[in-house]
Amino acid sequence: MAAQGGVLFQEKVSRLLSRENGKPVLKPNRPLILKDSVGNRKPRKGEASCVTEMSLLMACWKQNNFVDSLCSNEINTFYTCVHKAEAARKNMSEQSNVTGGRLTPKQATTLLKRFPNLRSEI
Amino acid sequence: MKEEEEEEEDDDSHIFKMAASISGLLKPWTPRVLLVRWSRYNPYYLEPEVRKEAYSRPESELSAEEKEERELKKLRPIKAATNSTTSSLFNDPVLSKFINMMMKHGEKTLAREIMMQTLENIKRKQVEKYHKATDGQKEGIECNPYVVFHQALENCKPVVALASIQKGGKYYQVPIPVTGNRQRFLAMKWMITECRDNKHRRTHMYEKLSQELLAAFANEGNVIRKKHELHKMAEANRAYAHYRWW
Repeated sequence: MAAQGGVLFQEKVSRLLSRENGKPVLKPNRPLILKDSVGNRKPRKGEASCVTEMSLLMACWKQNNFVDSLCSNEINTFYTCVHKAEAARKNMSEQSNVTGGRLTPKQATTLLKRFPNLRSEI
Repeated sequence: MKEEEEEEEDDDSHIFKMAASISGLLKPWTPRVLLVRWSRYNPYYLEPEVRKEAYSRPESELSAEEKEERELKKLRPIKAATNSTTSSLFNDPVLSKFINMMMKHGEKTLAREIMMQTLENIKRKQVEKYHKATDGQKEGIECNPYVVFHQALENCKPVVALASIQKGGKYYQVPIPVTGNRQRFLAMKWMITECRDNKHRRTHMYEKLSQELLAAFANEGNVIRKKHELHKMAEANRAYAHYRWW
């Protein structure tokens, strides 16, 4: 696919650079070589998890002068909420990694670094 | 390998299949130079199972996953266990971690000696208290120094901590939940620094540690105070809790 279209693509690029048909369309100031890395995708910002449990816990602390033994129920609910949120986050990231069919930017960069663009003939 | 590829047989499909396994463990890998003992291993190596009980269970008791795990362990290379891990009853990972954190310049024997003296000192003090106490109070006094140590550390673990999060050019102290290893680390770190810095210089480390551990066991003392101060600061900053994004 890329191999068959490669020659035609090179010809098109050389046409865009040439001065034969009037001014050249492209005037590159750096050599037209692909980088061995891919730009990073911005991860979507989530919202804070377990804020309600934390506020309940802090209210309990305020009432009982920060003695932990009196607030053990709130502490336990807080911990369960935190563990659940952690597990949910792991599941989400695993799912998005396995399905999707595409590579993440990190994986693509690793792959490209293993098979880099040849800059000189060997 | 992944079966759900597009229908046309690309040249790049095998690269994608290989790339999909980068994030997981590497392919079967043997080192060119055989490692004897090391702390950084290829992710292909498995953790060693040190406990004796895991090996004495009969075949029938194992579930399907555990049988699979055993089969896997026969084929994969395993990391070497460190010198301080033992299969004895007295092997305590929390205690080992505390000893390692106390250790300076690699002198494990000295750190271990201090820890043993600390536990002995705790036992002596508690037994003295036990014999001096009236009959009604005798059950309330815990004489097992290991139980005292674990409970003291549990009492020192913070529930929430502050993190510096940038929003709109300014940095805010945001309360975040802290679990597991970070809690344990903070409790141990506070205990050790408090004993090193804030005590009279002519007392031995084991003496300072035993005093602080017994105080933490009773929910008093400087370390517990530090934990409460952290909780108070988190409570004061609770308005910024929504600045977290995880």
